[in-house]
Amino acid sequence: MFINGMGIVFAGGSGIEKFEGALAGPWVAPNSHNEAGLPSYQADLAGAGRQDLLKKIRRADKMSKMAVVAAADAAEDAGLENLAAHRVGVILSTAHGPHVTTFKFLDGIYDYGEEEVSPITFSNSVHNSTCSYIAQTMDIQGPTLTVTQFFHSFYNALSLASLWLADDRVDYALVGGVEQYGDVLSWIVDQKLTTAKDGMIKPFNLTPTPQVPGEGAAFFLVSKTAMGKAYCQVDDIFLGWDADRAIKADIRVIDSDGMAPDESAYLACGSSGVPMAAYSPLFGSMMSGSAFNMAAAALTLKHQRVYPNPVADNPHNLPLLPKDFGVDINRMSCLRFDCRGEAMGAHLSRA
Amino acid sequence: MPENSDRELAEIRRKIKEILVEGLSLEHWTPEEIKDDEILFGQGLDLDSLDAAEIAVLIQRNFNFIVGDPEQTREAFYSISTLAEYIYQNTQGQD
Repeated sequence: MFINGMGIVFAGGSGIEKFEGALAGPWVAPNSHNEAGLPSYQADLAGAGRQDLLKKIRRADKMSKMAVVAAADAAEDAGLENLAAHRVGVILSTAHGPHVTTFKFLDGIYDYGEEEVSPITFSNSVHNSTCSYIAQTMDIQGPTLTVTQFFHSFYNALSLASLWLADDRVDYALVGGVEQYGDVLSWIVDQKLTTAKDGMIKPFNLTPTPQVPGEGAAFFLVSKTAMGKAYCQVDDIFLGWDADRAIKADIRVIDSDGMAPDESAYLACGSSGVPMAAYSPLFGSMMSGSAFNMAAAALTLKHQRVYPNPVADNPHNLPLLPKDFGVDINRMSCLRFDCRGEAMGAHLSRA
Repeated sequence: MPENSDRELAEIRRKIKEILVEGLSLEHWTPEEIKDDEILFGQGLDLDSLDAAEIAVLIQRNFNFIVGDPEQTREAFYSISTLAEYIYQNTQGQD
């Protein structure tokens, strides 16, 4: 399976160029703080392109709008046009779904009663509504599915995309991850996890990693064969990880971002000596943040360019990716541990 | 009395425009840009059936009366002005 196109919306802007610029640049502090002073990375769609597309889905919530922009960008990046004429499927991963809209709907019941609750808010609170918006705006005729498995939502979605392609159910799949920031989520993770009061996620602290909620969408246009400007190949998607049996990779990208109270499972990744990178400080803590880290790996493989760790605090002396990493980068490993220490991830190689 | 009703209708139209822009996420419109005789569905604001359901809820919330069967209120939902007339007629006598 090949990654042929990517689209990204995050706190740093919209588009692959913006994301690559963030990867190449220094760490940037969170762009928002709520009334309680809690930091977050929030996407601003006003500056995004695709305003015509957004006009078509004016009633959609922010989660759907971010996903639509990222999915459309991924298809365009791959050069895939007239999607109605192709067998395209959509698989969206999200850990928390449209929770902001769902809480708004519930607030409506409390405030106005069942008879005066907003029909638009209800329709947007339906879990698969984001996929529907993507299919509607891009005229996609194939299957759509929303996958939620908290920490492993994205890799499960990617695995499913691989199956759909292998089964010849579709010729192309738009697979991605999306999360929306909400004050309720911010409050919950602040209560349950360790918030980075200074706004800086330190992904190699691990015991614990301080978190800063993020939001955004990262989409990939994948297919069985490489199209013109494929980023990389997805060799396999794995469940379970063992340092002794791990496939040798040139760089390992870990998804540590503080969304689990203890991320010490990542410490085992350091034993092999494979240089480690983590980019969550650029886009924030998200259970579907795996999609953003995989996008960074895909860019690394395609451009043969090393993106240094934006935050390199290293209390456990892990083998971090050096800025002057000079060898050819042929194979990368991306992985995420959940709160029970179970891993899921993907191996990528040059296209 | 007619002057009073004209003033009340103008105020209702102004309020409707604000409510629709906010409640229907008409991000590419401002209330001031919407004409009094702007058609709501098919042309003008180009709204659809889900918007109609939302408008009914918005009216109930903001003007404190239950909107009847949409089939019976089809004429009222034609334009901003007809909607204002409908609301005016149904709010007479309210505090």
